[in-house]
Parts: sequence; C-alpha cells; structure tokens
Amino acid sequence: MELVLQHVSKNFGGLRAVGDVGFTVKKNAIFGLIGPNGAGKTTVFNLITGVYKHDEGTIRFGDKDLAPLKPAQIAAVGIARTFQNIRLFSQLTVLENLLVACELQKRAHLAAAVLRLPVHYEDEEAMTERARELLRVFDLEDVAEEPSTSLPYGNQRRLEIARAMMLKPKLLLLDEPAAGMNYGEAEGLKTQIRWLRDTFDLSVVLVEHNMQVVMGVCEDIHVLDHGETIAHGTPDEVRQHPKVLAAYLGEDESETEARSEGAPFRSDSKGA
Amino acid sequence: MSRSAKKRSSKLSLVGLGVLVVVVLLDFFLKAIIPDSSIRQLLMLAACNVLVALSLNVINGMAGQFSIGHAGFIGIGGYTSAVMASHLHASLGGGEPTFARSFIVVPVCLAASAGMAGVFGLFVGLPSLRLRGDYLAIVTLGFAEIFRLVIATAQASDPTAKGGLLTKIGGALSSLGGQNGYQGIANQGVPLYAGPFWVFGLAFVLGVIAWRIKFSGWGRALRALREDEIAGAAVGIDPTRYKVTSFVIAAVGAGIAGGLMAIMRDGTPTVNPDNYNFAASFDAITMVILGGSGSVTGSAIGGVFITFTIKAIELLQNTGVVQDLRRSIEGLDLNALRMIIYAMVLVALMILRPEGLLGERELFQKRPPPKPKGPTKNTAAPPDTPATVKA
Repeated sequence: MELVLQHVSKNFGGLRAVGDVGFTVKKNAIFGLIGPNGAGKTTVFNLITGVYKHDEGTIRFGDKDLAPLKPAQIAAVGIARTFQNIRLFSQLTVLENLLVACELQKRAHLAAAVLRLPVHYEDEEAMTERARELLRVFDLEDVAEEPSTSLPYGNQRRLEIARAMMLKPKLLLLDEPAAGMNYGEAEGLKTQIRWLRDTFDLSVVLVEHNMQVVMGVCEDIHVLDHGETIAHGTPDEVRQHPKVLAAYLGEDESETEARSEGAPFRSDSKGA
Repeated sequence: MSRSAKKRSSKLSLVGLGVLVVVVLLDFFLKAIIPDSSIRQLLMLAACNVLVALSLNVINGMAGQFSIGHAGFIGIGGYTSAVMASHLHASLGGGEPTFARSFIVVPVCLAASAGMAGVFGLFVGLPSLRLRGDYLAIVTLGFAEIFRLVIATAQASDPTAKGGLLTKIGGALSSLGGQNGYQGIANQGVPLYAGPFWVFGLAFVLGVIAWRIKFSGWGRALRALREDEIAGAAVGIDPTRYKVTSFVIAAVGAGIAGGLMAIMRDGTPTVNPDNYNFAASFDAITMVILGGSGSVTGSAIGGVFITFTIKAIELLQNTGVVQDLRRSIEGLDLNALRMIIYAMVLVALMILRPEGLLGERELFQKRPPPKPKGPTKNTAAPPDTPATVKA
C-alpha cells in the first residue's frame, strides 16, 4: 500500500512546523526523510501516526484517509513506528513489551481472559510464540524475561523495532534508528533495514541524521528544511542538490568540498 | 485446549468446589462457631473491604490513575441494593430472610448495584479520563461528595407530590431517608440477606476475577499504558478506551462491595450517607497503597488489615482506661486518632517501602516459565541467571 501526503501543513500557534509537504512512499520502498534540526521530520511522523492532527492537506494510506483516525486506529491500519527518544514500557519485561503490541490481533478479549476460555490460551500461546520468534530475529531472546529498561541502549532500540514488528505493519516508520550507533553498528543497521523490508514485505520510512545509513539504504529521499520541501530524489540527486547543500552547510558553496559523509550532521544529535 | 490448560482448569474447579462447600457450611454454622455477632460482622466486613480494595486496585494500581472518590460508588451500590432488597423482601411476603430466598434477592440486588455503579462510573470516567494528570482525582472526589450530600440533604415536603421530572427525582431521593439513613420500607430495617455464603463466596470469586484481569493481555496493556500512553497508542492500545473500561470495572466492583455491605447478615439494617464520606474513600486508598498498588493479593491483605485496625481501635476505645480518660478529657475520640495512625503508617511506608507491602508482586505468583527448548546455543545458560544488574 502506498502512503501519500498531499499539501500537508501543521501550525503550532504562529509557528509553521510543516508547510505544504507532499510525497509518496511506494509499496516496498525504503524512503528517507532528512533535513537539518528543526526541519519538521518528526512532526511529519507524528502527523502520519495521528499524534498530531494536520491543519491542511490529506494523508492517505492505501485508500484510507488517516485524518479522522486516532493513533491506536492508525496502528491498526498497519502503520508502526519507533520513537526518537526510546519509548519502551519500562516496568514490563522484554517479552511483555512485544505481547502488548499484539492485543489488536487477539480474538480473545477481556471476558474470554477472565473466563479462561480455550481461545484465551490459544491466543496467548500463539502470540508468545510469535514474540519469541521476533526476539530471536532481533537477538534479544536471552533477555526476554528482563525488565526492558535494564537493556543497554542499542538493545533498547532493537527492542523498539521488534515491538513495532509485532503489529505486522505494512509501513514501518523509524525515527533516528542509528542515533548513537558507531560505524559498524550503522552498517549492520543498513542490512537489517533491507532484510526487514524483504522478509516482512513492508515499506520503511526513515528519519535519520546519519548520512552513512540514509545514503546507503534509501532509494528515495525527501529533504525538508523549516517545514518545507527543498528537494526530492535518489540519493545521488539529493547529494548534488544545491538547496540541500545550502540548507546543511550554509550559503557558501565552497565549503561543500569539506563535506564528508555524515560529518555535517554530527554536531547535533537532537532535532527534527 | 492444551494439556496444561486442562490441568489448570481441573485444579481450579477442585478449589472452587472446596470453597463452595466451605462457604455453604459457614452460612449455616458460622453462628455456632463464633457466637459473638460483632466478630462475625467484623469478618464479613473484612471480606467486603477486600472487594473494595480489589476494585480500587484496578484503577489506582493497574491503570495508574488516581481515584479518591471510591466511596461514591460504594454508596451507590449500597443504596441501590438496600432499596432493592427492601422492596423484594416486601413482595416476597416479609418474614425472616432465609437462605433459599437469598438466591433470589442477593443476585438481583448485586446486579442492580453493579449496573448502577457501572453507569455512574462511565458517566464520571468518560469525560475525566480524556484528561491527564490529577483531574480524575478532583472529579472523583467531587462526584463522591455530591452523591453523599445529595442523599443527605434531599428533603421533599411531600415525597409523592406531582410535578415535573425534577420533583419526582427529588421525591425519590428524599424517600432515601436523608441524614438519618435509609431504614427499609416504613423504617422496618433493610433485610439482611447476604450471609457468609455470599460474602465470602463473592470475595473468592471476585478475587479470582481480579487476578485474571491483571494477568490477562488486557491487564498487560493497561500496565503498558501506565508506563507510556503515546507508545501504547502507537501499538494499537487506545488509552481512553482502556482507562474508561478500567474505571467502569472499578466502579462495578465497588458497587458490588457496597451492595453486599448494605445487606450483609449481622450488619446494620440501615444505610447511612455518612458511611460513604471521604474517610471511607481514604480507607480504600490506604488499603491499596498499604498492600501494594497493582497487587491483587496485596490489596486483599490491605483490606483485611484496615478492617481489623478499625475494629481494634474501637475495642481500645471501650476499654476502661480509655473510658476513664474520656471522662477527664472531653472530646477524646480514638476514631479520630485513626486517621493519624494511618497517616503515620503511610509515612513510614513511604520511607521504608514506597511500593507497599508487596509492591506489584503477588503472593502465590508463579515464577516466569523457563525459556522454551530451541536449537539456539543460548539455552545452555540457566534461565534464572540475571543477565543484567539493575542500576
């Protein structure tokens, strides 16, 4: 299914956080959403997932208009996400974090669980099995019974992706998955993102500052600055685009020589 | 159903049968075993308070919201059940409340109490749970006080006066006895149908239900929302819906508890608005916090403990020493002291054990199952080796 944004705008009081942004994420694409800090990338994510409501424009997923849906309903449509600042259920174990994400797919609801109908056991068993499978995939099997916050940072990031995958999403939104990763880990992440796309047959949208990852894995890149689109295209096109260079490096284009992959984005880690 | 599930359910039906036999026997022989009616009353009251604590635990413990007006729902249950029981009793021909008849009266009364409290729970919860923070506490407190004061002050010069809807409601409310309490039809007293069979039996059944709610996927989702609503919504858990449902469940539980208390054998045959004041709500909160917010067994322990403390202070009040003191110091009332004692216990708890006696753990909780056998190399490690040390 395609995710289509058309003329989407969002104002916070007098501040125009997102202005007239439009793009299409094709089925099975790996799509990059980049821009300097404060460009509105995470706001776009929050608009897609319903955390904020857009003021103008349309956001459609397949043939469904996402505007009237609440975040939980958007998750049910098949859009899963991770967060820039990791949001795990801290008091729950790693396994439970995943199990929460499959409440939607359950046939057994509260009454069935209270009466302990067979369907309750079947559900719990099937879901636990699926969760353990995903934990195996994400190499978190050993810590399944640990509280989620006791994991080291990198594992928490992987757990967040694993939890999102429990939803069986058709579209996965990753908000800075490479934050805090070193070169080797970022290389690994590239492989993992492609593998996720191919194995689970989904589209991926990536908000990321790490150019090594963005340029290496995205097929299509959309660049925002101050909430507005400044460029769109393949990694090579975007890399050469004068507006992109200006946005990241300032107007003086002689400095572009000094740009090495990823370097311009290292100065800040928080943003969007 | 898997074999383990079958084993579990057959074990439970055995326990259930055992409990059934015990409560039926208690219903007939409790009087012979414990001749002192005040002690019988205390035991049954403890069981009712366990229900109060279990229900409040759903919203204050599991959902992590803070309701401080639980007495309102207990009161709605109490009045509903008292009125229903009085009318049913009259239409059944009066006389002594018998065990056989209680099978008609008690289920009807409690269903009405639960339904009424549930409707009010939805009514209060729906608008206030959309908001975050302390709004729920304020709204619930306001609701409970409004309920109590409306009942206490409702007075109509002529309860049967004709007029608009408001007049009729006013008439109906004033027939509940106002400040003096409801004492049944023509002040004959509320028929006390719920014997030990109902009180202890329901405490057991609802305890099992509370346990199952906690350990269901639904309970897990509720705990997840308590940690992070935005992340919960992102994985398809609608915060408002879950919170409102948990609030209604808590209200229904409180309604049943209040309904039972109102028609409890060996209890008082009146329902008084003062039974449902803020102190009653505070008692309920103390039960939950003392036992451990989120813990089903902890809440039950808290319920029993608080009930016995109340009684112990009452007994102390009646001892000769205190009576002598009262003669010399006018206005000495140990019941007022109760609040101070609770406050001290709570402060001590906050310092020594902030999570309550049990925290969120349970007595009799099964250890997490060992990891399933698989082809991976990792299973060689013993399952209960802590892999990481908490900071």
